[in-house]
Amino acid sequence: MTLRPGNKLAGDDEALIPLRFGDDPLLWASWLYYEEGLTQGAIAEQMGVSRPSVNAYLADARSRGIVSIEIAPERFRTLTIASALRDHFSLQDCLVIPTDGGERSLITRLGDAGAKVLARNLRSGDTLAVTWGRTVLSLADQIVLPGLKDVRVVQATGGTTAKIPWTPEACASHLAKALNARAIPISAPAIVSSAEVREMLMKEAVLAEQLGILSEADRIVLGISSLRPESTIHSSGFLDGAMQHAHYQDAVGSLVGRFISARGAPVIGPMHDRTIGLDLDQLRRIPQRIAIAGGMDKVAAILAALRGGFVSVLVTDIATGRGILNAEGYREPPRRPATTPPPALRVRSHVKKLINAPRDAVDEALQGAILAHEQLIAPVAGSTRAIRAINTPQSGKVAVVIGGGAGHEPAFWGYVGAGLADAAVVGNTFASPPPDPIIAATRAVQGAAGVLYIYGNFSGDVMNFDMAAEIMEAEGVRVRSVITTDDIASSPRETRSARRGVAGTIFTFKIAGAAAARMLPLETCEALARHANARTYTMGLALEPCSLPETRQPSFELGPDDMEIGVGVHGEPGVERRNMETADTCADLLLDRILEELPATEGEEVALLVNSLGSIPNSELFIVLRRVRQRLKARGIRVHHSLVGTYYTSLDMVGISLTVFHLDAELKGLLDAPCAAAALVVRA
Amino acid sequence: MTDFTSRQLVDLFRLIALRLSEARRELGALDGAIGDADHGNAMAEGFAAVVRATSADDTRPPSEMLAVAGRSFLSAVGATTGPLYASALLAAAQGLEGKPALSDIDVAGLVPAFAAGIAQRGKARPGDKTMMDAWAPAARAVTEAAKAGLSPVDQLHRAEGAATQGRDDTRAMIAAVGRAARLGARGLGHVDPGAASAVIIIAALQEWLRLQHPPAGQDGHA
Repeated sequence: MTLRPGNKLAGDDEALIPLRFGDDPLLWASWLYYEEGLTQGAIAEQMGVSRPSVNAYLADARSRGIVSIEIAPERFRTLTIASALRDHFSLQDCLVIPTDGGERSLITRLGDAGAKVLARNLRSGDTLAVTWGRTVLSLADQIVLPGLKDVRVVQATGGTTAKIPWTPEACASHLAKALNARAIPISAPAIVSSAEVREMLMKEAVLAEQLGILSEADRIVLGISSLRPESTIHSSGFLDGAMQHAHYQDAVGSLVGRFISARGAPVIGPMHDRTIGLDLDQLRRIPQRIAIAGGMDKVAAILAALRGGFVSVLVTDIATGRGILNAEGYREPPRRPATTPPPALRVRSHVKKLINAPRDAVDEALQGAILAHEQLIAPVAGSTRAIRAINTPQSGKVAVVIGGGAGHEPAFWGYVGAGLADAAVVGNTFASPPPDPIIAATRAVQGAAGVLYIYGNFSGDVMNFDMAAEIMEAEGVRVRSVITTDDIASSPRETRSARRGVAGTIFTFKIAGAAAARMLPLETCEALARHANARTYTMGLALEPCSLPETRQPSFELGPDDMEIGVGVHGEPGVERRNMETADTCADLLLDRILEELPATEGEEVALLVNSLGSIPNSELFIVLRRVRQRLKARGIRVHHSLVGTYYTSLDMVGISLTVFHLDAELKGLLDAPCAAAALVVRA
Repeated sequence: MTDFTSRQLVDLFRLIALRLSEARRELGALDGAIGDADHGNAMAEGFAAVVRATSADDTRPPSEMLAVAGRSFLSAVGATTGPLYASALLAAAQGLEGKPALSDIDVAGLVPAFAAGIAQRGKARPGDKTMMDAWAPAARAVTEAAKAGLSPVDQLHRAEGAATQGRDDTRAMIAAVGRAARLGARGLGHVDPGAASAVIIIAALQEWLRLQHPPAGQDGHA
């Protein structure tokens, strides 16, 4: 590549285009990218333009037909049909496989595809319902998904005695075995002799419990049967001639042993009251309904199921998919004309902050916080960084003094108030306070019954609080310190005392505050706080770093698709960096690590904290809480209380932490004791 | 042998503050890789506070100036750095008690005094990937160079070399104490920011002492 002056394009920095590309930078960029295999960064350098420009050139080159990207025609058809099916029937997802697949039968390949879809969707703690049939059994025999926990596989209907390999019992038990899950059968025939027999059976406790579990299903894997003579429904011994009944003239297909019309409406006939298992209304209420069905004979039945809204994820083959679309009269909408991409944003050199001078940010924020909560807290006289509760000191009561760096708001002033801490001390951003304000706060709130310091385990906090404690002891004030260590990502279990103290620390604040409010002696308050800390488990993750007011730079680099697992509350790197995942997967990542350590057994109680590290909206916290609750329910652990919101932050970090606080009767009583602080109120 | 007034000591603090302030971003970036990115600001703000507190009354004897410096650094910084450098400055203050003025030997002697104070408070051992990995070899270099009869400026020159070597060696260490310890092996390849700021302070001591002795020769003064 030679660069010569003269004959420049617009812009001074652009390099001269080699002659063979004419005057076309799009062609040049395309050549370097697709033929020479250079990265966009390297192309930018060679062309003397920015990387976003290269990106725009490449997009332009495609939309103008300079570059045409060709996907193998068969693969391309699977994609277009899948997206047409998905869009037209508002499916969550759709997977279409080639109809012809060499030696493996369509059923085997559909089972394989279904197994992959299920493996992508199934999560620890799920209850998975399963119907029966050749395709479903094929799926069960091909799925490979080790490592999930607390999964239940439940039969969607009663059983049959038909001499076929793909009975409901076989499908459920094969699948449960493959998933290392608990299998829940339905201990009754699918079709019984009369409505009266069904009524009687349904009163049986065992069956009622099994059907109860079925009604909790998070997902179902189902086949769709046509009503043609060779179909599963006929060969399964379900019908024994009943199909001849005039009631079923309108039926075109069968799902979970029930019948639907071409428009997808339930067809209710005499067998309805003789069938034990999921009905069609219950089916529709299951959050994810994965149907696996293919073959031209099934087009009418699948279309009916799609129209009736009984399917949310469809796995089928090209010929069947195209047949469904044709039968529906679907026509591909015209493609949108190619548009030029919007100009790239200028790269930002610093993070925007709503502050005045960076050095004033901590003090000004503190002044505002005190004004916002002046009925609860006040500054300690003579100190700008120490805050006390307004009703302090209380004679004869242990004083609880908490603190740490600034940047964790509403920690720490948010936990100062009746029934919680008596004073809080904050340092600079992410830096421990020095001894002076700790001493000032201690003197201001101590009520001659001793003082309990509680703070997270960071070397700076330990040094400064220890120095303050030494000086207070010399003044004759008894001081005990509890250093919290709830961040399980920060050190292995064997060295728990080396762990950081993070969001779960607020549970220790609460327990100690309640104990002190009961006028318990210093040693007891200390022991209870230690007990609470030992039963608190926190783990966090960050989607975006935070930035300090002083630097206005991200405190660490996180790639566009990355997240950091186990991140610290100051943006300390975590234990693992990996690709961004869904909320449920993130919740599972955090909870699975916590459950590895949590000794809670079935029936025990916990309190939860789903905490924003600064910039995660509440709606996303609730998505995570919902998932955590599902998982704990599946494990039989009861949730006494769920705190969701911004409780302990890391400036503007986009991230969450999850805390599980393992309760016992004593801790539960202290947790429920009334308190009134800016960030935590418990009413009597 | 030159004697320095307490006003000149404020000058020395001012130069250290300036050099640390210039290195804010660089130190913050080092810290961001393995800590929380606040080290550059903490050091710069800490020595700025030292300058403010000591310049308020520069008639006090050197040992009192150093004690004021220690207390003001601690109050301004907190964190881990606060107690460590407070101990460093207070240890130096103790060593100079009763002296009306500082000699240039005393200026070089600040390095072993600081190192002793930091070691006593921090309890970090060599190889723990902390500021001690720069301060300890620097202190040894001063002591050995003094024994070998080198001038105070040259003692500080040796100290800077040893501290720089120590700083670079932290790249291959896994932190054993402090916040970076939670990182384990992920800290490998990163320089410890505390060791990096130690080098800046030692270099500033040398630079300042050289400035007090106009270049009569390469090895400083007579």
